[in-house]
Amino acid sequence: MIYIEDHWQGLFLKPQQLKKWKKYANSADKKIGAFLQFKPDLAHISSAEHGELEGVPFAVKDNIAVRPFKLTCGSRMLKSLNSPYTATAVKKLQARGGVVVGKTNLDEFGMGSSTENSSLAKTVNPWDLSRVPGGSSGGSAAAVAAGIVPFALGSDTGGSVRQPAAFCGVYGLKPTYGTVSRYGLVAYASSLEVIGVIAKRVDTARMVFSIMHGQDDLDHSSLEYQPLPEVPEHLTVGIPIECSRDLHYDIDKSFKKTKDTLGELGFTVQEISIPSLDYVVSAYYVIATAEASANLARFDGIRFGERAIEADNPEELILLSRSRGLGDEVKLRILLGTYVLRSGFQDQYYLRAQKIRTAIRMDFEKAYSGVDLILMPVYSYPPFKFGGDGLDPFSQKLADIFTCTANLAGIPAMSFPASMENGLPIGMQFLAPPFGEELLFKACSIFEKIFPAPDSPIYSTEWSE
Amino acid sequence: MFQSFIGLEIHIQLLTRSKVFCGCKAAFGEEPNSNVCPICMGYPGVLPALNEQAIKMAYLVARALDCSLSKQAVFERKNYFYPDLPKNYQISQFSSPVGQNGYMDIEFRRRKKKVSIREVHLEEDAGKMIHAGDISLLDFNRAGTPLLEIVTQPDLEVGEEAEFFLKQLRRLVRYLGVCDGNMEEGSLRCDANISVNHLGRGLGSKVEIKNLNSFKFVRKALNFEIERQQDILARGGSITQETRLWNENRDVTEVMRTKESAHDYRYFPEPDLPSFKPDKAFLKSIETSMIELPNLRRQRLIRACLLTEQQADFICEERETTDFFERALSCGAEPQAAAVWLASDIQKMLNRSGISISESPLTPERFAEMLTLISQKRIHGKIAKQVLEVIFDENKSPERIIKERNWEQITDRKILKGVVDKVLERNSPVVKQITQGDPKPLGYLMGEIMKLTSGRAEPGLVKELLNEHLYLSFIQVLSMGGAITGKVNGAGDISPGDLNDVIRQVEEQGDIPKSIRFEEIEISRILSEEITPEDWSSLIIALDSYLNRGNTSGIVVAHGTDTLAYTASLLFWFFPDPPVPVVLTAALNAEEAAENLSAAVVYASEKKGGIYVSLGKTLLSPLNLKFERIAHNGFKNWNLQSPLYCSKDLSLSLLPLSDRKELTLAIEQAINQVCILKIFPGMRGDYLISLMNTGVKYFILELYDTGTANLRESPYSLKKAFLEGKERGVLFFCTSQQEGIVDFSGYITSHELWREGAIPMGSLTTESTFTRLIVSLLASESDEDLLRLMEEFSEDINFRA
Repeated sequence: MIYIEDHWQGLFLKPQQLKKWKKYANSADKKIGAFLQFKPDLAHISSAEHGELEGVPFAVKDNIAVRPFKLTCGSRMLKSLNSPYTATAVKKLQARGGVVVGKTNLDEFGMGSSTENSSLAKTVNPWDLSRVPGGSSGGSAAAVAAGIVPFALGSDTGGSVRQPAAFCGVYGLKPTYGTVSRYGLVAYASSLEVIGVIAKRVDTARMVFSIMHGQDDLDHSSLEYQPLPEVPEHLTVGIPIECSRDLHYDIDKSFKKTKDTLGELGFTVQEISIPSLDYVVSAYYVIATAEASANLARFDGIRFGERAIEADNPEELILLSRSRGLGDEVKLRILLGTYVLRSGFQDQYYLRAQKIRTAIRMDFEKAYSGVDLILMPVYSYPPFKFGGDGLDPFSQKLADIFTCTANLAGIPAMSFPASMENGLPIGMQFLAPPFGEELLFKACSIFEKIFPAPDSPIYSTEWSE
Repeated sequence: MFQSFIGLEIHIQLLTRSKVFCGCKAAFGEEPNSNVCPICMGYPGVLPALNEQAIKMAYLVARALDCSLSKQAVFERKNYFYPDLPKNYQISQFSSPVGQNGYMDIEFRRRKKKVSIREVHLEEDAGKMIHAGDISLLDFNRAGTPLLEIVTQPDLEVGEEAEFFLKQLRRLVRYLGVCDGNMEEGSLRCDANISVNHLGRGLGSKVEIKNLNSFKFVRKALNFEIERQQDILARGGSITQETRLWNENRDVTEVMRTKESAHDYRYFPEPDLPSFKPDKAFLKSIETSMIELPNLRRQRLIRACLLTEQQADFICEERETTDFFERALSCGAEPQAAAVWLASDIQKMLNRSGISISESPLTPERFAEMLTLISQKRIHGKIAKQVLEVIFDENKSPERIIKERNWEQITDRKILKGVVDKVLERNSPVVKQITQGDPKPLGYLMGEIMKLTSGRAEPGLVKELLNEHLYLSFIQVLSMGGAITGKVNGAGDISPGDLNDVIRQVEEQGDIPKSIRFEEIEISRILSEEITPEDWSSLIIALDSYLNRGNTSGIVVAHGTDTLAYTASLLFWFFPDPPVPVVLTAALNAEEAAENLSAAVVYASEKKGGIYVSLGKTLLSPLNLKFERIAHNGFKNWNLQSPLYCSKDLSLSLLPLSDRKELTLAIEQAINQVCILKIFPGMRGDYLISLMNTGVKYFILELYDTGTANLRESPYSLKKAFLEGKERGVLFFCTSQQEGIVDFSGYITSHELWREGAIPMGSLTTESTFTRLIVSLLASESDEDLLRLMEEFSEDINFRA
């Protein structure tokens, strides 16, 4: 089976090709701004590293640690931080020959849906330079859609892999919680997030996942990957009735089309209900911000990062460094998280959100007793224009409804390009039961055969000819 | 009246190889920021990984404190900003700690108590911030090292008791090998919660005290706080709930923050660490790691080896000492001898060389071998001390040492008999002199025998052989004067006379077997009520020299009746294990004198080594002697089930026994600070304070009953005296006016006395307490030492003999 197109194989072992690729990559990135740091020369390739990814370049979202690259998280706070270590997931890919060529842009600390919250750079959508690439892994999705790399790593806390993948017309996998080590992923909401992969082809995503997964001694919340015993020949897909509300016209259209196509492709399609879907956004933001308020407390300007050197005492130093170093969206979420965790308020917010989370898990468990997969839109809107395009930050959060569900339930989900509407790619997603990644790959592959990921206007492979 | 409730929060640093959530070395005192990594520095993206050894130690401590062990120990984040806390939250435990609802048994000043342990939880330590002028420096070596927090219920009542509990807890964790328990270096830290309220009203407002980095500060700060809060309540005020800091320079607590500014730690479950669910194998490994805890081990050793409380405390303070002791026993060492040697000479050697017993060349096997050499009389005590030094210097076995140096005593009867025969043959005039009744040249014969054997003749055997040949038991009679020597003058009054007169009378009556020879030495010629420190000092020096002379088979001390109880107990403390019997005797009048003296001489020739009191045919213990009635059978021992003649537990090797003047001065100085006071109705607290003003530092209070006194708020209350005493460091040792055990039980005023810090002397009488105090003052270098020596003997001597 071919996991990756020929021109990516062993690229770093072919100096001529490499030179041409670098030139292409630089020029493409100039247009879209996917990378915060594009330095293929920093990559060291050891002859000991052989495997499926030998000499294959890939990009890593800049909230995942790769030595000796920076680890900015798109934040002013960390703009000068060099990572002293490498994330486990990245190490595993490097051990199979993969070459990290740069770090991609993101919403600061992964907080956003458009990559507009990056304090360091602007990334645009390769399909329409006036539109956002989605977020928070916007840089990774744009880099793949522009053909700079065959795949890129992102992190998915509430949809941050799937949503930008959908906006850019590529595949985005959010694995089962815990199957990929989080060691090296800068924590935003620890109990929700997982490192995922954005790729141009389903098989590429599949291979990358197969290398990355596995229990890690450095991450005690990580799990050994235990794939489902068998993948049925014939797949049944459930469509939650709750999904059809409040969808943008283009999304609604694509959703319906996808349902029909699946039927034509031999899937059994049936309606199901996930009643707790109404509460997921509230529960998601309570839990995510609560955890974020603690996770981001370490950015105090003392040991690393931007420091307010003029401060007179340690307390002032922390205060000034944080005030300056962190962006508005980040501050908003920290405040929210601090608020919901106050003593006396936990019952009302944090503990209630945990109860909703349990209810969601149970709803999904029930649903999977009748279907193999669930189909949902990724986002209620198509790729929007910079500045919100009439979509204020609050509406952007509400639109997380379809993606953050999988994070609350801890289940795997994969977004795939489902159709083109008005010249823009629209993504749908399959959700599977825990460890059901193979179901996702199979369903996406079947769909890929009739609708492969479309090439963006920027995408080119001419450099390889 | 008030009651106080004290709870402690104790943090102990666990002795793990690595930190609790990363692989960095958990070591102290190294180059700042040398044992750090991205994880313990809180770099972005890192995750904690639970240290197996730390969680095991946590469960072990929880188990040792009889906690119910958590089936699912949850880690939580405790959020607060501080520059030395890398993540600005601490991974700790809150909702489901490792252990809950345990307890530890303690007995402080005879009051037994179960101190409840609320919880035991595992957490990580912070780094250290050092302020140096204008700058602040941070060292993160300590950040992420494992801490175990042990929280008690408010079951403690006074500073001394809290200090005692803390020391017991320290012994436990050191025993378990999970913490070195060094408060000064911060490996054991303590915060205290205290609330004081009117009696019967339950808990009051809680005040937390921080910065208690020594046992002494724990005690002082809590007692300060008790006083402060009682003062406020007594004036009708109320206590503010707050956190206070101990100021060690000013000896006061000061407000740190009030309730309003208290932290909201916003605890929530640590998403990076799954809860720890101990499986069967883990719980089994905890059970197999459980050792016999020091308290139980101590009790067992007291029972099985008949150790005194003090010996047991010494042996059980450190696990390696206890292990060493028990291994020596299994190699055949005799427990008593082993305990005495361990606490005295071996401890001295270890202190001098600065090593621990397990590091020393003295193995339990060698130790047992040495003790066996002594018990087989192959070497005597003095040689044994030299053997010990050689073991430390040359790392050889005792057998080899005595062989190489030819130190073995001659214990072969045949060989010695040959020597004795030869000496007697050469010295026939001297022999004749002795057999005719003058024992003086015995020492000369002894010296000759020693010369011929290069000092290796076993003295006991030589004495035995000489006795066989000369049919002679040699008794020294030391005369202190007293009515036993008394003459009635013209007016009918008794004055002390010459004991020789009595002796002549005894000899004439022929009550004493011919084989007993005795010699009279006059120490003083006084009535016993006239006894002075100098007389005591003379007696002690004389006794010491005769006991060490080698040709004495017994000593009689002729004394008066009035102060006999004091002198007898004084000698009992001074000579814990005399090699020959020392018999004190007295007579009320001249008629009894000859009879009592001859009985004493016979006892002195028959009994084993020890201090005895003989009055007529009655043999009494020198301890707890009471002169109850003016009659020939007017003496009695109080509180003793069976008589005690030895007190091996008090080592007095520090005393200057050779210099009479020095000893006199020391005894004088000790007595000058002591006052015996019998409680009486209407006695004012001020009275004691005025005594303090004259230099009294130690009161022996003879209380009513088993420990009661007036503490009701009035001029007659002793409370004021106790308060003032606490301020001045005055100590109150309590005995009873009646026969009975002073244990402060049963009465509310006893509980009050206990709270005020009075020290119950248990079964000791006033006289024995007094002499115990004198001897302890001579033997101790600090009040703490003194308190230890005093309290240790207030245990139930009643039930052991």
